Amino acid sequence: MTVYWRRLGSGLVAATLVAGTAAAQRPDSRLERLDSITRPIVAALVDSARAAALPTEPLVQRALEGATKRATADRIVAAVRGLALDLGHARHALGPTASPPELTAAAAALRAGAPAATLTELRRVRRASLIVPLAVLTDLVASGVPVDSAAAAVLSLAANARDTDLVEFRRAVERDIALGAPPASATAAAVANAAVQVNAGARQQRPGRP
Amino acid sequence: MFEADEELIGRVVRQLRRPVTVDANLDARVMEQIARLPARPAGGTTRATWHWLTRPRTVRLSPLSALAIAAVFVAVVLSRPDRLSHPASTGAREFSFVVVAPRAATVSLVGDFNDWDAARTPMQRAGKQASVWTAVLPLTPGRYRYAFLVDGVSWLADPAAPAARDDEFGTPSSVVTVGGS
Repeated sequence: MTVYWRRLGSGLVAATLVAGTAAAQRPDSRLERLDSITRPIVAALVDSARAAALPTEPLVQRALEGATKRATADRIVAAVRGLALDLGHARHALGPTASPPELTAAAAALRAGAPAATLTELRRVRRASLIVPLAVLTDLVASGVPVDSAAAAVLSLAANARDTDLVEFRRAVERDIALGAPPASATAAAVANAAVQVNAGARQQRPGRP
Repeated sequence: MFEADEELIGRVVRQLRRPVTVDANLDARVMEQIARLPARPAGGTTRATWHWLTRPRTVRLSPLSALAIAAVFVAVVLSRPDRLSHPASTGAREFSFVVVAPRAATVSLVGDFNDWDAARTPMQRAGKQASVWTAVLPLTPGRYRYAFLVDGVSWLADPAAPAARDDEFGTPSSVVTVGGS
């Protein structure tokens, strides 16, 4: 019986190695939507990211987005390569414990112009997930708020604010900008208002909307 | 004393060397005794199987074997290429996507949550002849890029959502962020 279990164990180890190797070498079937020129390059980039322990799903999705939008091979490869670099920088800023969604959000923040030091500081001050703070930071910059103002605002709220507080803060800034307020002023006003609500424990749950 | 032992052994040997005559009807008598035994109750096989299945037993595994079994399980799970493309129900929140497209015949919601596959999430009219199209999706925490594809050719960003800043493909996209608190 002991010999039997030893053989079974050895067989399982061998099967694991074979399966693991096959899984690692097998290209993602979704990449078959790419043309024959783009596919091997993107597959190589995905494999490199996997070897570096970076999340690969954002890379696949970016390539699929390009394919669906009928982008050229050069554009798709450049987009995937740039995202892979951003993910690497994001992990360097957030540390090895960052989750894949956090790294994706951090990569977008870096692409928007947020300093890596801001991301590191966010990691230090906030125990909860960084997905929403990083997304709010990115969205504020996209709305025209200067990077320094957006980073300072998010950092000031990140320690105690819940995700819903931060989303509400972003909406307030965007609303004031739409009404004609300068982005930096709108951010400062919204920070003051949000800080009061956070400290007062205001908890207003909104239905899910982008 | 020594000679007495030899005599005893000699008697035993002589006894053992005597030819043994077996009764010619021995087989028949043995089978007759077996036939008289009570018949096995009905369902005996089922009961035996159930007993075999439920009987506690000790399974001995080396640490290497246990590790190999765990590794096989992990490899099977990780080898699914689409494991992250479908938001899991655990921790997912439903999000409602809305767009106004008065002259559209079809509108699709495409994004990071459905592999940018236009056939995966067709949007529905809010009512007959209505110009409002809607779709509801469960999304797990994360940041997703998406857009609306009208009639299979025209890309629309969501006017109610932040724009995707890193848009390398020349068509507008939007961003939805799902938090956990």
